[in-house]
Amino acid sequence: MGLFDEQLTEVKRFLSEARREGKVREFRAFSAPPWPAGSSLVLEEDTAIELGNPKTASLSILLWTEAHAIEDGLISLVGPDVGEVQDPSLPFAQVLMARGSFEDEYESYQELRDAVYDTRLSGLMVRTRPSRHSMWCRVAREALEQGFSLRYLGAAFVKRLKEATSASGVEVLFVTSSPGDVERLSGAAADARRIIEAMMKMYEEKNFDCETCEYSDVCDEVMELKKIREKLADEKAV
Amino acid sequence: MRNMIMAVCGKGGVGKTTVAAVAARELSRLNDMKALVVDADPGGGLEMALSIRPKKTLNEVRKELIEEVKEGKRDERDLTVSLDYLLTEALTEVGNLAFLSIGRPEDEGCYCKVNVLLKSAIEGLAGGFDVTVIDAEAGIEQVNRKVMGQVDYVLLVSDTSTKGIRVGETIQQVAHRMVRGEGAGLLINRVRDEGAVDSIKASTFLEVIGWIPEDDTVRSFDEKDISFFDLPDCPAALAIRKALVKVGLLTGKK
Repeated sequence: MGLFDEQLTEVKRFLSEARREGKVREFRAFSAPPWPAGSSLVLEEDTAIELGNPKTASLSILLWTEAHAIEDGLISLVGPDVGEVQDPSLPFAQVLMARGSFEDEYESYQELRDAVYDTRLSGLMVRTRPSRHSMWCRVAREALEQGFSLRYLGAAFVKRLKEATSASGVEVLFVTSSPGDVERLSGAAADARRIIEAMMKMYEEKNFDCETCEYSDVCDEVMELKKIREKLADEKAV
Repeated sequence: MRNMIMAVCGKGGVGKTTVAAVAARELSRLNDMKALVVDADPGGGLEMALSIRPKKTLNEVRKELIEEVKEGKRDERDLTVSLDYLLTEALTEVGNLAFLSIGRPEDEGCYCKVNVLLKSAIEGLAGGFDVTVIDAEAGIEQVNRKVMGQVDYVLLVSDTSTKGIRVGETIQQVAHRMVRGEGAGLLINRVRDEGAVDSIKASTFLEVIGWIPEDDTVRSFDEKDISFFDLPDCPAALAIRKALVKVGLLTGKK
């Protein structure tokens, strides 16, 4: 059992349905030459397209597992790529799924999360709001002219997550098709966020009084959180 | 090229906002340069001078972040990236220019961590721009406390009054530790008689970097509430441009 079994199942179900409807395009991270790294401030006047603008649907989900089927290097795209539409703004969901051996969940989360935050590409401005699990990107006109696509972003995440963490495999899903499609993943995003917050609280506060904890409902549902609680309570007792 | 950060300071009513607004106008014409303009005056005079309606103020950003802290979200890395998001959302963009307004202070509260993160995030944000201009409330302490730790240049604005010049001198003395290098200079505003400039030069230790003639066009723009982006090349605008070239703002270099 893992922390995010239910959310991974939900994402995979979404992908299967989208595949059945012929809405998924797949790319291999390893066949994409790397896009140059670099921190970018992209102003509106230099922007070719925005993804997940604060006024539209946006989601960013990070899930990790030891057992679930993750196809290393697979980048799935549901909806148009950044260079394929005239629309200056698209809804956006990003799901990063890592497989590996994550013994210390707290450290693993921080490593994975920091690797995501530290993935910066030239001509792409990324802003993240973890508490709302949303992500907002601006692609510079110049980057688009040079051939930037989501394939490069996916490949960068795969590479970075595997380099900086103990992940042995990383799969990426991007959704740009419609606000409705992004919304379909919002339950998984909110649940994943609550699980992470519950886990962080346990590690940081070492307070195991379930009567007063606002995350007790999450722990009741996620077996793995109970195990973490027991492990930490035992450590505290020693 | 290092990005240059300039604070415009001086006694109230001497024309700081006019100078900052003309600086914004000049920078908006340099398309190859990204400029951040911060209205650090809670009165919001600069946004009025430029006819800009800020989407969100820094104080609103601060409130949102405090809410996140109250909700129990205390992880520093997450708060830092949230701030980058909120600050970018708060930028009002006009071409190559991004405008950030401090807004009216409400409940200050004891949220030192939020204040420290906010200042650090503004510094980070400014790092992405070629130049940053801050229209300060009066002195630089408020800039240092709420906007950023250090600036490259303090542009002291004063009219020809002795009081205005003395306030400029005091600001310069206090500002010393908050300014990288030795950058500070006096720009004298609303000069009717050039002889007054010589008298001021003889009576102050401040470096006088220029003077701005009394100008009906500027007064008329103020009175009729016309955006300073539309200000023609009147004598005052030209004098301010000359001073900004002198301090290196229009090349982004100090």
